[in-house]
Amino acid sequence: MSYAGIKQFLNERLPLEALDTHLRKPLPKHINLLFSFGSLAMFLLLLQAATGAFLAFYYSPSPEHAHNAVTYISTEVPFGAFVRGLHHWGASAMVIIVVLHLLRVVLYSSYKAPRELTWIFGVLLLLIVLGFGFTGYLLPWDEKAYWATVVGVEISSTAPVLGDFVAKVMRGGSEIGAVTLARFYALHTIWLPWLVFGLVGVHLFFVRYYGSSGTPKNTPEEMKAGKPFYPHQVFEDVVGMLILFVILAAVAIFVPVPLEDVADPTNADYDPRPEWYFLFLFQLLKYFQGPFEVIGTFVIPTVGMLLLLFLPFLDRSERAVLWKRPIALTVTSVSVAAIVILTILGGTSKKLETTEATVQETAQPTEHIQGAATPDTETEIVEEGEEVFDFQLTEEEIEGAKEVEASQ
Amino acid sequence: MEKKGRRSFLEIATAFIGGVLSLAAGIPLIGFAISPAFKKGESKWVDLGLADRLKNSRFKKVDYTFTAKDGWVKATKKRSVYVTDAGNGEWRVFSRICSHLGCLVRWDAEKESFLCPCHGAIFDKTGAVIAGPPPEPLQKLETKVEAGILYVKES
Repeated sequence: MSYAGIKQFLNERLPLEALDTHLRKPLPKHINLLFSFGSLAMFLLLLQAATGAFLAFYYSPSPEHAHNAVTYISTEVPFGAFVRGLHHWGASAMVIIVVLHLLRVVLYSSYKAPRELTWIFGVLLLLIVLGFGFTGYLLPWDEKAYWATVVGVEISSTAPVLGDFVAKVMRGGSEIGAVTLARFYALHTIWLPWLVFGLVGVHLFFVRYYGSSGTPKNTPEEMKAGKPFYPHQVFEDVVGMLILFVILAAVAIFVPVPLEDVADPTNADYDPRPEWYFLFLFQLLKYFQGPFEVIGTFVIPTVGMLLLLFLPFLDRSERAVLWKRPIALTVTSVSVAAIVILTILGGTSKKLETTEATVQETAQPTEHIQGAATPDTETEIVEEGEEVFDFQLTEEEIEGAKEVEASQ
Repeated sequence: MEKKGRRSFLEIATAFIGGVLSLAAGIPLIGFAISPAFKKGESKWVDLGLADRLKNSRFKKVDYTFTAKDGWVKATKKRSVYVTDAGNGEWRVFSRICSHLGCLVRWDAEKESFLCPCHGAIFDKTGAVIAGPPPEPLQKLETKVEAGILYVKES
């Protein structure tokens, strides 16, 4: 069948011409490069989905296997370090791009009527992006993965009323382990992807249905007098995608993705730090102590998210560029500055330096039988000169101790 | 007219960049996924036991295990073979894996044949196909005897 034949076959069965006309509809005037952030976020989502789907070929979500599997990917599988690098740094790029996308929408107050729903679905997508980050970094099952998740889940446990329940559901029990890893993997690779593609579908539908918002200076005539979406805007978008991919590929090649030692729940020397995009929250928590803890862990993040979600209904002013809206400008600047400063403070905060060596004993039920048994005590000198005792008894020793006690 | 020309240039450029992007991401991803197909398996000698004990003019079913790397896991692999000695120091060790589709064959002493339970394949005592669909004889494993111990080559 010739090309013309195939085209005719498809045209007779699908509304391709209507789609072509729709895609070539003119955009508003004064569209600039800032309007490409949405497309870049879409590109990153597809790149994350593709690299993630391929990484899953070599991953096993169990504490016995996860760390070895990730090491295997990074060191033995051809292109493994590159694919993992794209996925890891792509996650960071995604957070940056969606925040820039959000700021562009705030800059031109594009969230105002009739585009409130587009905004709400966009904020939900931002939350899902953060959810991907949170569930994703447990998967390598290294020290950072484990401890960042311990802290993250503890944060949710401080929420009033349901906090403890939510934390237990997240962990799948009272502590982080095999069940937690399995459910984080399921969330990261099944639940969140379904959710994100569903919400992106709705978000994109609104974007196409209401059309691009353009900039506030557009007159009603100018709203339909710009360049067509396809191919002009799409061309600019793919150039942006190419630049973004080249940067990401370079980072993936030249900056190895860290993989720390395998998670160790007894490692008290480890200073947990979250991913950089959660550092502001990490730093914020330090300022609320004792009974005020819940303000940092729950009140501020929840209120902040609700304000962001319902922004179109709170800001009822006329549509204008940000610097012509003093209140919006102040709130946005203060929020961005606060997040940036908290992130820098969190990132540069000193790690805990233990000056006094403490003696740590692995607690075993030895005291009441110490007189009866003489267990082998292995003392290991660790790097810091800290002594670690292991008084654990063998089964024979415990049996022997019981026999001695019974005969007394 | 000029507009038309620009549009088609942009369309071609867009498709070209899209293609470049797909290849730049797609080639490493596909290479990543299909790389196990190009990986050469390591071969090693595995002992089956003392040759004297295994000496038998009839086929003996012998199970053995060995450790091998399976991705990121050091796995214990289990294998089953039929062993016989043909006299004059020659050993015949046949893999039980049917050369047709991988089911395990069984030795029938009465018929002096290996029978496959799946698709009716029959192999004679030299491993050659007598009946059924297999394209090749049963796999005969390389053997050696050292210090009285019989080894087979696992790959």
